[in-house]
Amino acid sequence: MARAFKASRKGLTCQLEPAERELLRNLFADVITLLEPETPAHADPLAALIGLDMDVSEPTDPALKRLLPNVVNDDDAAALEFRQLTERSLRETKIGALRAAALSLESDKIVLTGDAPQHWAMALNDVRLVLSERLGIRTEEDSERVHALHDWSQADDVDSYLGLVYNFVTWLQEGLMQVMIDQLPDVADESWLV
Amino acid sequence: MSASTIEASTLPATEEWTGIEVHTEPDTPWVLLVWNDPVNLMSYVSYVFRSYFGYSEAKAQQLMMQVHQEGKSAVASGTKEKMEAHATAMHGFGLWATVSHDGANEGSNG
Repeated sequence: MARAFKASRKGLTCQLEPAERELLRNLFADVITLLEPETPAHADPLAALIGLDMDVSEPTDPALKRLLPNVVNDDDAAALEFRQLTERSLRETKIGALRAAALSLESDKIVLTGDAPQHWAMALNDVRLVLSERLGIRTEEDSERVHALHDWSQADDVDSYLGLVYNFVTWLQEGLMQVMIDQLPDVADESWLV
Repeated sequence: MSASTIEASTLPATEEWTGIEVHTEPDTPWVLLVWNDPVNLMSYVSYVFRSYFGYSEAKAQQLMMQVHQEGKSAVASGTKEKMEAHATAMHGFGLWATVSHDGANEGSNG
């Protein structure tokens, strides 16, 4: 049985069963596969360098679109133009976090330091976004319906299995967020200015 | 070599220099909207607002609750470029964010 993340002198630690680590490894790998660009980096070295991608289009897979949303509503041309400039590097950011999280699964005891907690938070969140699309979670009611699933012995179809996986990842992320929030510095209200 | 050693005659005729047109738009704020969804955890959204924007716990909580209860919240405002950079960062975190010019798309608020 997994134990939630907690803060220790070494970093944020968490104990997972081998089967749970394997599950997370597969989930991270699935989302990485989903995010890997369909076309290779642009042949023009300058375009490749700045991440420009003129071949990009709005994703047709709703899960991928949830990971790579439009930056403006009601203006497809502007959204596409922004996508050409930014989507490739956004994919790389997400893949980077997922790969980093997958790497820290290699050891029996998970110990997260430096940027690793944030990579984990982002990776778990992206996994949940993809699972939620597959589960059809569109409203708070849908979310509660899935949340009510808790008995692995009743996982007799794909949806209830995916729902239990979703709940496990949610539980893991929620525990991680509590520890990460505890470690945020107190900020005075004057520093709202961005 | 300092600039003073250059002969004045080698410099381009400055009287023909028309200068760079500067487009200043001081009064056209863009906003970054973060939209509600049933997936992102309230703790995660609050964490992102605090860690990325440097908002206080109270401010982050207030914005997060506005997203949750009203469907969206304008969490930052400024130049188009800056709001777009913020939006990309929010997408990196998996938050659903859009940029909007001067309150467009905000009609359904409240």
